[in-house]
Amino acid sequence: MRIEGIVIIPSMCRGCRSCQLACSYVRHGVFNPAKSVIVMDREVETDHTVPVILPLSCDLCGGNPACLRACPYGAIVANTEHTSYKILVQT
Amino acid sequence: MPRPGYWTVFVDLSSGEVTREPVETQANQDLLGGCGVGWKLAADHLLARADPLSPDNKIIINPGLLVGTLTPGTPKTTSITKYPTYASDDERFYVGASTVGGRYFGVALNRAGCQHLVISGKAPSPVYLRIRDEKIELVDAEDLWGRGIEEVTNELVREEGPETGVMVIGTAGENLVRNALSIVDKTNSLGRGGLGAVMGSKNLKAIAVNGSGDVEVENPEAFFNFSQELRERVYQWPKRDHWIKLGLAAGWDTFKHTQYPGIWPKSEWDELYGEKTRLATVEEVIACNSCILSCRLKWKIKGGEYDGEVGYGSPFSKSATSGMLLGVKDFRKMIHIVADANSNSGMDFYTTTRIIDFATKMYEMGRLGKEDTGGLKLRRDYDTYLKLYQMMIKREGFGDVLADGWHRLKKEFGLDPQEYWYAGICKGMDFIYDARPSNFHPLMMSFFTRTRPHHGGSHTRTNSRNKTMEEIREQVEAWGLPQEVIDRIFTEAPYCGSFNVGRYTKHMEDMMRVKNSLGLCSIYSYQGLIFGHDMARLYNAATGESLTADELIKCGERISNFAKLVNVREGFSREDDKVPELWFRPMDTPEGRIEMHDYFNTKVITKEDAGKMLDDYYQERGWDVRTGTPTPEKLKELGLEKYSSKQNQTALA
Ligand code: SF4
Ligand code: SF4
Ligand code: SF4
Repeated sequence: MRIEGIVIIPSMCRGCRSCQLACSYVRHGVFNPAKSVIVMDREVETDHTVPVILPLSCDLCGGNPACLRACPYGAIVANTEHTSYKILVQT
Repeated sequence: MPRPGYWTVFVDLSSGEVTREPVETQANQDLLGGCGVGWKLAADHLLARADPLSPDNKIIINPGLLVGTLTPGTPKTTSITKYPTYASDDERFYVGASTVGGRYFGVALNRAGCQHLVISGKAPSPVYLRIRDEKIELVDAEDLWGRGIEEVTNELVREEGPETGVMVIGTAGENLVRNALSIVDKTNSLGRGGLGAVMGSKNLKAIAVNGSGDVEVENPEAFFNFSQELRERVYQWPKRDHWIKLGLAAGWDTFKHTQYPGIWPKSEWDELYGEKTRLATVEEVIACNSCILSCRLKWKIKGGEYDGEVGYGSPFSKSATSGMLLGVKDFRKMIHIVADANSNSGMDFYTTTRIIDFATKMYEMGRLGKEDTGGLKLRRDYDTYLKLYQMMIKREGFGDVLADGWHRLKKEFGLDPQEYWYAGICKGMDFIYDARPSNFHPLMMSFFTRTRPHHGGSHTRTNSRNKTMEEIREQVEAWGLPQEVIDRIFTEAPYCGSFNVGRYTKHMEDMMRVKNSLGLCSIYSYQGLIFGHDMARLYNAATGESLTADELIKCGERISNFAKLVNVREGFSREDDKVPELWFRPMDTPEGRIEMHDYFNTKVITKEDAGKMLDDYYQERGWDVRTGTPTPEKLKELGLEKYSSKQNQTALA
């Protein structure tokens, strides 16, 4: 099924950075978080991380988001309802 | 990986000079990069018999070859140094490798093109090492000296940016407490045996790394696809849900049997330190880079005098054993010490609490007196424990003796560490597990056959209880060893039960070297999820080589031999690979008498049995069984003959 939108659930993120590595791989064939279109927001005091997807650069991998497939902890999931939003952050 | 931008960086803290050399392709192919090449650097650059706390000692840091890729669970960096724990009565010191995961540190090193970092000398005043790709410099750290681990880590991340990997020491390392650890990325500890003190002796407070480069692999598509396949496999693991919920807080049901100190009944221990306390304290489970299991914890104490205190790492197992040993019934009080050790001082909780246990008991028995402790009464109560802990960190009064470890208690007061009642001591270090409740399985053996007496990285199926023979065998087969080796391992021997522990241990250790070189966390092999064949496929896709699993393990064997050679130079031999005396003495507990048995509980292991297993181990290694050291034939077979010559040994001595 073609995925038209992504939801980020910040509380589920464990900071493994698989999303960034998958994104940089599908886009450039290398592993490099800086070449992904995901910025990891690292809260220094608590050490919690939240992925921030740059909406203008992200093309949802043509409907098959690599970051979503790579996330082991359900912090990036498919948006099945609000298809008009490419990227939503659950608050 | 033999690719451009693959460097060894030499940092001389005394002069501030930084140089870099490309790693030879051959060394990579023979030693798999990572810690394999690290051991070669140790053999080439460490001075034999140098004082570990002198500028002559070196710290060699090696991120694993696959660190920074999407392979599940490859965050590990290995650090090799000479550890300052006194390893023998005549004051020799072992050279060992310790590994650490983390979210940023190893990845940043690989991305900075800094695959091996050799740190030598001593800075004239406190510094931290700042790595920003090729720009490597020493930065004044006077303002960080004397401050705690978490605080300094936060400050460095704020200063250097959110991608920064940090390895830092606390005041224990600064004060050269011989068991001091380093902490990486706040959540992972590194260097049991005193790496923190080695950093302290060099005036090196921290290493802060940023790298911007790619982690490339030779055959991206094959690598990516196989990594995906492995991820799918791990997702199918039936226990994954439970594991990711609790991380290192999982496993109480096994732990309460294998690490039972035998003082309280198990039911009482359950009540005081069991699953319930864990569930009430875990706040978050944190993953290392690329890890799809995750085990690191963030936790919070609820209620009691330390209400609201937050810590990182894994406080439960260690606080449970030491809590029972010290007779502290409130788990929160023990966790409070873990929190301080991990986030502030960098003390090794295990060694510290056990030395305190020993000293206070000796005082109670009248074998230590007020005249020995500088007038301090060593009571068996929590306040005294806390006081001693603080005194050790600061090396204050009697704390100075304890900060030097077991050896100094023996030297000054004739208190033999072999008399200590739990877990046993070998090469000057107290073990985490005791082979009586745990049974004598291969991990127990590798405590004393390995150069550094610690289990890190060696986990396999046999560490858990009640695995079937089929399961153990299937695992060894999947390591990818030749059939005749497998047959040797599974030939029954009357002295060790249904499989040959000595021979198994040899190959388990070589596997560990492979995992450490690639950067693979041993939780994946412990849980029986990733094996030798898998590692060979990953390695080949990453490097363009075509090694079989067997050939990969051969490289692991070469690394093991390098490690041994470096320690032979330090004067170690079979004499030092001793089974702790304690293990042969039965443990009388409220649950009955516990004696050391084989894995399947079929027989009690005697001293003679253990000796035969050690013979098997050396024989399987192709070493001299009498001396426990590599033979010239073995070294020739592995292409290490250059390192066997007398000349090499004396030149370095
Ligand atoms: S969906 Fe967007 S963020 Fe995710 S991998 Fe694809 S391009 Fe990257
Ligand atoms: S969003 Fe998922 S994949 Fe990305 S870091 Fe968080 S847990 Fe890992
Ligand atoms: S299992 Fe734990 S130590 Fe191993 S890589 Fe994952 S989080 Fe790190």
